[in-house]
Amino acid sequence: MERRTFHAMGTEMELLVDAADAGDALDAAEAEFHRLEALLSRFRDDSELSRLNRDGSIDACPDLLRVVELALAARERTGGRFDPTVHDAVVAAGYDRSFEDIDAESDVACQAPVTAGGGVSVDGSHIALEPGVRLDLGGIGKGYAAERAAELLALAGPCLVNAGGDVATRGGSWPVGVETAGGALTLELTGAALATSGRDRRRWRRRGRELHHLIDPRTGAPAETDLLRVTVVAPDAIEAEVAAKSLFLAGAEAARAEADAAGIAAVLTTETRTVLAGGLA
Amino acid sequence: MVSHTGRLYSLALALVVFFLAWAVVAAHPWGATASDPRLKVLAAREAQLRHEAKLVNKVVALRWAAYRSALKARTAQIAAAKAQATQQLASVSSGSSSGSVRVVTLPPLTITRTS
Repeated sequence: MERRTFHAMGTEMELLVDAADAGDALDAAEAEFHRLEALLSRFRDDSELSRLNRDGSIDACPDLLRVVELALAARERTGGRFDPTVHDAVVAAGYDRSFEDIDAESDVACQAPVTAGGGVSVDGSHIALEPGVRLDLGGIGKGYAAERAAELLALAGPCLVNAGGDVATRGGSWPVGVETAGGALTLELTGAALATSGRDRRRWRRRGRELHHLIDPRTGAPAETDLLRVTVVAPDAIEAEVAAKSLFLAGAEAARAEADAAGIAAVLTTETRTVLAGGLA
Repeated sequence: MVSHTGRLYSLALALVVFFLAWAVVAAHPWGATASDPRLKVLAAREAQLRHEAKLVNKVVALRWAAYRSALKARTAQIAAAKAQATQQLASVSSGSSSGSVRVVTLPPLTITRTS
């Protein structure tokens, strides 16, 4: 078993591969993260996403095009609970630079909420945004990158890619730890992926008010929910990421009912307790 | 009895034939081509070029055969690598299509945290 950790996309990445001499595959998977970060980061002025947000339209490369298509499909599928047009709302809440550079506490007030839901059109490889609309592909971009990296790493053998909580696997069975209210829980993934979303890490305070990065597109403000974090198991990390955010916004009771009804394996954690849903036991 | 005029014509004709033969022998064209040094050089050069052309053709034929052999080996290698990759992807795909999850008591290999 070979393991590699490195920093990319504003978080810690971990690559595991059940093979000897997998150096080339590990190099390729790591390079894929850096390549996609250079395309999809909203914090890099020269990224394709920043150019799209600045210019309002772009003839996109296949990766940006694919992620935007996936994000728009997720917006449709979740009834708007997942929405890539929350960029200005996230910035208004104070997440306007790389998370490491944000003051944990400040007396400066955050800006007024900005509602999401603006128009995004895709015609061939051309993406166009309605005036005033900008995209944040942070979460879904990590899920996409995890899947692409896993594809490259799988050429060496069974593997797991953990992109700061978004986990993609190829082949084999992988025990993955999940933080709960009462300690830790281990889920064994076989040919499945997993993602965790929550307000327990990327958070900050402005004038005494606690804020976090998970925006409710309906209000344009950080979501107010009794859930602290949600972990979802899905066929791929992109779907898991979308479902985790969507359930997080729903709140504990609604999320449990929704997960049970749809058969989505989920770990729902509030400040005081953890509930397993969607047939997970 | 032979006429005097006839004799004169015969003599004139013989003289003409004699001088023509003399001129041809004096020109001796058969000797001129063989002895011209430029022609000899050209002939030698031609022979040398023909010899070199044979050698070049031999080298080209050898190199072409080597290239064909290497190409065949490389094509076989690429086909084998493609087949292996396809097999690996197929096994990976078949694994993910029947994905499953269960709670276990094993120590985790990694931990998922809020991203």
